[in-house]
Amino acid sequence: MKENQTKAAAAQSPPNRQMLRRALFLMALFGIAAFLVLFARLYQLQILEHDRYEKLAIEQQLRQAPSSTARGIIYDTNMNVLAISASVDNVYLSPAEIEFYGEDKELIARELAKILDLDEAEILRKTSQTGSWYVTVARKVEREQADQVRQLKNRYGLRGVRLETDTKRYYPNSTLACHLIGFVGTDNYGLEGIEARYDSYLSGTAGRTVRATNAFGTDLLFAQFEEYQPGQDGYDIVTTVDSTIQYYVEKHLKQAVQDYDIQNGAGAIAMDVNTGAVLAMASLDNYDLNHFLDVSDEARAAIDAAEDADQAQALLSEAQTRQWRNKALSDTYEPGSTFKIITLSMALEEGAVDLNSSFYCGGHVNVKGRTSPIRCWKDGGHGSQNLTQAVQHSCNVAFVNIGQRIGAEAFYRYCEAFGFLELSQDPDVNLTATTGIDLSGESGSIWWSQNTFCSQKNLSQLAAASFGQTFTITPLQLITAVSACVNGGYLMQPYVVREMLNPDGTLAYERKPTLRRQVISEETSAAVRGILEQVVGDPNDGTGRNAAVAGYRIGGKTGTSEKVSLEAQTGVKEYIVSFIGFAPADDPKIAVLIFLDTPSNASGVYVSGGQMAAPVVGRMMADILPYLGVEPDLSQEEAANMDVNMPSLSGLSLHEAVERLNDSGLRYRTIGTGDFVTGQLPRAGVSIAGGTQVILYLDSQVSADLETVPELSGMTYREARDTLSYYGLYIQTASPVTDAENQLVSSQSIPAGTALEHGAVISVSLISGDESMLGKY
Amino acid sequence: MRYESARLTDFQAGPATERRGGFDSSFFLLVMLLLVMGVVMVLSSSYARAYYDPGNITGGNAAYYFVRQLVYAVLGTAGMLLASRLPMPFYRRYAFPFLLLTLLLLLLVPFVGVKANGSRRWLGIGGLTLQPSELAKLAVILSFSVLICRFRDRMRSFRFGIMPFAAILAVIVGLLVLEPHFSASIIIIALGGIMMFLGGAGLGWFLAAIGAAGGALAVLLTFFPYASSRINTWRDPFSSSSDEGYQIVQSLYSIGSGGLSGLGLGGGRQKFLYLPEEHNDFIFSVICEELGLIGGVLILSLFALLILRGYWIALHCRSRFAFLVCAGISTLLAIQVFLNVAVVTNLVPCTGISLPFFSYGGTALLIQLGEMGILLSASRDILVQR
Repeated sequence: MKENQTKAAAAQSPPNRQMLRRALFLMALFGIAAFLVLFARLYQLQILEHDRYEKLAIEQQLRQAPSSTARGIIYDTNMNVLAISASVDNVYLSPAEIEFYGEDKELIARELAKILDLDEAEILRKTSQTGSWYVTVARKVEREQADQVRQLKNRYGLRGVRLETDTKRYYPNSTLACHLIGFVGTDNYGLEGIEARYDSYLSGTAGRTVRATNAFGTDLLFAQFEEYQPGQDGYDIVTTVDSTIQYYVEKHLKQAVQDYDIQNGAGAIAMDVNTGAVLAMASLDNYDLNHFLDVSDEARAAIDAAEDADQAQALLSEAQTRQWRNKALSDTYEPGSTFKIITLSMALEEGAVDLNSSFYCGGHVNVKGRTSPIRCWKDGGHGSQNLTQAVQHSCNVAFVNIGQRIGAEAFYRYCEAFGFLELSQDPDVNLTATTGIDLSGESGSIWWSQNTFCSQKNLSQLAAASFGQTFTITPLQLITAVSACVNGGYLMQPYVVREMLNPDGTLAYERKPTLRRQVISEETSAAVRGILEQVVGDPNDGTGRNAAVAGYRIGGKTGTSEKVSLEAQTGVKEYIVSFIGFAPADDPKIAVLIFLDTPSNASGVYVSGGQMAAPVVGRMMADILPYLGVEPDLSQEEAANMDVNMPSLSGLSLHEAVERLNDSGLRYRTIGTGDFVTGQLPRAGVSIAGGTQVILYLDSQVSADLETVPELSGMTYREARDTLSYYGLYIQTASPVTDAENQLVSSQSIPAGTALEHGAVISVSLISGDESMLGKY
Repeated sequence: MRYESARLTDFQAGPATERRGGFDSSFFLLVMLLLVMGVVMVLSSSYARAYYDPGNITGGNAAYYFVRQLVYAVLGTAGMLLASRLPMPFYRRYAFPFLLLTLLLLLLVPFVGVKANGSRRWLGIGGLTLQPSELAKLAVILSFSVLICRFRDRMRSFRFGIMPFAAILAVIVGLLVLEPHFSASIIIIALGGIMMFLGGAGLGWFLAAIGAAGGALAVLLTFFPYASSRINTWRDPFSSSSDEGYQIVQSLYSIGSGGLSGLGLGGGRQKFLYLPEEHNDFIFSVICEELGLIGGVLILSLFALLILRGYWIALHCRSRFAFLVCAGISTLLAIQVFLNVAVVTNLVPCTGISLPFFSYGGTALLIQLGEMGILLSASRDILVQR
C-alpha cells in the first residue's frame, strides 16, 4: 500500500526542470524546425522545380493518338486514279484490361477467330499476354468485318477488344505501272516508286488527339482534357504516266516475253520526246500492287519446295526483291547498237562526217591496242556505204571509223553533254552519272576513266564505245539522250510527276519540263531523224524494218548487246536485245525503248534486236500513235491489208451482200445455192484482215463443228490469212501489214491444235522474212 | 503568477478523484479539422483506384475507401471522446498490462499475420485488420512514462536510466524484425530514445547511441546490397523510374506538378493509377498536387499547431506521468508527420509511414484518435486559461 502510494506520488509529482527544458527543446525541434525543413522542401519541389515536374507528369499522363490523314491520290496524266486510300480498321486486344475486367478470353478468341478468319488458339494465346495493353490481332480489316467486331464488343461489353482507324491503299489497276507507282507498307510509308519518292507529300502531316489518360492508357474517369490538332491531308499527285500507253506497252512487252521465252525479264520506257515526261515505264516480271508480297507461282513453287524455313524465307525475299526491281531504272546494260544514234549525232555535230561520207566495210577492222580485229556482224562486210547506209546496216566497222574521226576527248565531252557521265578532275577515276529523275532506285552508269578511254596508245575503248559496248548505262539514260538527238538537240530531264494538288483540288505545284542543255543543233537533229527513219522505213536496207507501222513515219535503231563480261566469266553467250523507236519521224512526239534480257535460243525467232525487239516496238507504236491522234497516211497496198469490220449480211440478197463486201475490201466464197444470204462467216462486227475471203451461206446455217487451228509460224502473212479462211477461221494483226508477201508469222495468239468454233479470229505477230536480215545488230 | 498558483491549488486539492475540468478545446478542434480534411482527401485520392479496381477489392465502387474511412473517423471520434474521459491514473495502471498485450500480439503476427508485400504486419480479427506495431508505439509511451516516474533521480544511471528501457525496446524491435517492419522499428526506437531523453537519461548515452547507429548504418550499406540500392534510389530515383524508383518518382511528379495553387481539390491526375498508395502512405502527394504549395503548407501548419499545442499541454501538466505521456504522444505525432512528408518528398529514403488522420486505414486511425483522447484527458487536469 505504501509502495503504491509512493508510486502514485512519484507520478503525481511535477516534472523537474530538466524535463521541462528538454520538452521545450523537443517542442522547438518537432513543432517548428522540422516543419521549416518540410516547407523549404515543398517550396523547392512545387515552386522552383515545378515546371520540370509538370512537364514530366504531363508527358506521362497524355497519350497522343495520331489521327490518320488521308494519303494523297496518285493520278495518271488524264486524272485516272492509280492509287487511292480508304479507311479500314486495325483490331487489337488489351489483354491487361481483359484480365482486370474478367472478360471471357475463350469467347473473345472464338468470336474474333470466326469474324476475322484467324486461328482461335493464336488469339487465345494473345489474350493471355496480360502484361500488355496492345496486342495486334488483325491489321487493315475491311469495313464489314470491322462492323462485326464492333457488334461483338457492344453485345458483350468487351473493353479489352479494341479497334483503331487505319488506312489501306488500293491500286485499281493492280499490276499496271506497278514499278512506277510503288506501294506502301503496313505503316503507310511509301516503300517503292512514286509512293516512296513522294511519300512526304502524299502522306501529309498526321493530326493528333491528345488526351489525359490513366496509367492503363484508357480514358480518365471524367474526361478532363482532350485536344485535337487537325492534320494536313497529303497532296494528290498527277503523274505524266498515261494509263492507256502504259497498258499498250505492258501488253506487247508481256507478249514478247512470252513469245521469245525471255529468261531475265524485260523493260520498256515511253517518253515524250520534247519534254522528258515519262508516258509509260514497265518492268517485267511485274506484280500486283494490292498484294505486293505475293510472288509468282513459279517462285512460290520453289519456296514451297525449300528444305527449311530459312531457305524459304531467303527465296521469298529474293523473289520479292526481284519482282519489285524497276529494270528500266535500276538495271544498267551495254546498250549496243542503239547507242550508234549518239555516235552518229556527235559525229554530225562535230562535222566529223556528213551525209556524203563514205565508209568501207570489209567485215573486220584492226584497232590500235587490240590483238584481234573488231568484226562486223555481217561476214564478208557491207562493202562501200554512205553514212545513211552505214546506220541502216548498223555497220560496226563504219562506226569504229566514225568514232575515230570524232576522237576520244570529243566523244567523252559529248557523252557528258548527253548525260551519260560526269567528267572528273581526276582523270583516273571511273565515271558515272544519273538522269536525276524523280523516282527512287535509279542506278548510275559506269564508264572508263578519262585516262583509259583517251589513251593514244589504245583506241580499243573508243572503238567499242562507238557501237555501244564497254560501258553500261541505264535504259532511262539512253532514251533521254536519244530524245535529245531527235527533238532538235534538247536534253530534257526525265520526270514522272507533273502536278501536285491541294486536298481541295487546287494546284499546289506544277512541274515545268526542265531543259538541261542543247547538245546538238536543230539541223544535226533533223539529219539524224532522216537517217533513223531510213533504218525503219527502208524495206530493203533497213535493219529496223520490223518496227515499221503502215501509215506512220517511224525512226529507230536496233540493239543486240552481248553480255561480254558474263561470257568472259562463264563462257555462256547471253544477249540483251533492244529497240528504240520514235514517231512521227519528221516531228517526233514519242520515243519508245524496249529491252529484252536474255531471250531463249529455242523460241524459234532469231535472237537479235531487229528480229525480236523491233516488231514489239512496231506493235506498240501501232496502238499508241492512233491513240495520240497521229493521222496515218497509208499507201494503197497498206490500206488494202488493214483490218476491217465484217458487215452484217444475213438476209440481204447475194447481190447486195457482194456489193458491201467489195466496199469493205473483202473477198468471198459461197456455200450452197440461192439468192439470199442465210448465214455468214465471220459474224458481223468482227475485225479481220483486209482482203480476207469470207463465207456466205445461201441455203444453210454456219456449221457448229469445231475446227482445228493450223500451225502458222513461218508462213507469209498472205499464206496464213488464206489458210485460215479456208478453215473458216480468220486472221488479225496488231500492226498494219507493210509487206504481205514477205512478212512472216512469228507467233499466233491461239496455238496450233486448238479446237475452235468457225468464225474465230486469231491474232498473229509478223516479222520480216528476209534471210539477210539475220544478224547481231 | 497564475501558473504557479494553479499548480499549488491543484497540489492542495489532493488526489485526482475530484471532478475534472473540460479538455483543451484548441487541441480538439485542430484534431477534428485535420480529421475532416483527411477523410475528404481519402475520397479525392482513392476514388480512381476504387473505380478501376485493379486489385479486385472494391467491385468498382468509387466511394469504397471513403465510406470505410468515414465510419472509422466517426468511431474514432467517439473513442477519442471516451479516452478523454478516462483519468490519467487509469492509463498509468494499465500501462504494463497494455505493453504485455501488445507484445503478445506482436508475437502472434509472424505466425498468424496477414501477409502482404513479403511481410506479415497485420492481424486479422474478424473483418478488421490491426497493426500491433501501432499499439506498440502507444505502449512504449505509456510504459516508459511509468518507469521514468518510478526511477526518478536514478534515471541518470545506466542500470535504471538505460537498461530497462533498452530491454523493452529490444524485445519490441526484435519482434518487429521478424515481420519485418523496418519503418515501425525506426519510429519506436526514436520514440523510446526521446522518452528516455525526456526522462533525464544522460546525454552521453544518446551521443553514443547516435554514433553506434551511424556505424551500423555504414555497415549495413556496405554489406547489404538491398539497403544500398535503396540509398541509390533515394539519391537518384529517376535512374530507376520504372522499378524501385517508380513510387517516389510518381510522388515527385504529383507534388511538383501541383505548383503554388494546385490542380484543385479532386482535380489531380496522378491518382489515376500512376501514383501507388495514393490514399495511403502517399496521400500527401495528392494533397500537394491538388491543393498546391498553399494547401500543403496549410495542412502542415495545422499539424505544427497541433504538435505545439500538445507540447504546450505537456508543459502545463501537473503530474510527471501526464507530462511524459503528452510529450510522448506529441513527439510520436511529429515523428510520423515529419517522416511521412520527408519520404514522399524524397528527403529521406522511401519507407512505408502513414500520415496521421489522412492515410487510409481504420485501426490506425482509431489508435491515433485514441492517443489524442489520452492527451485530451491529460488536458482536463491543467488549470490554466480556463
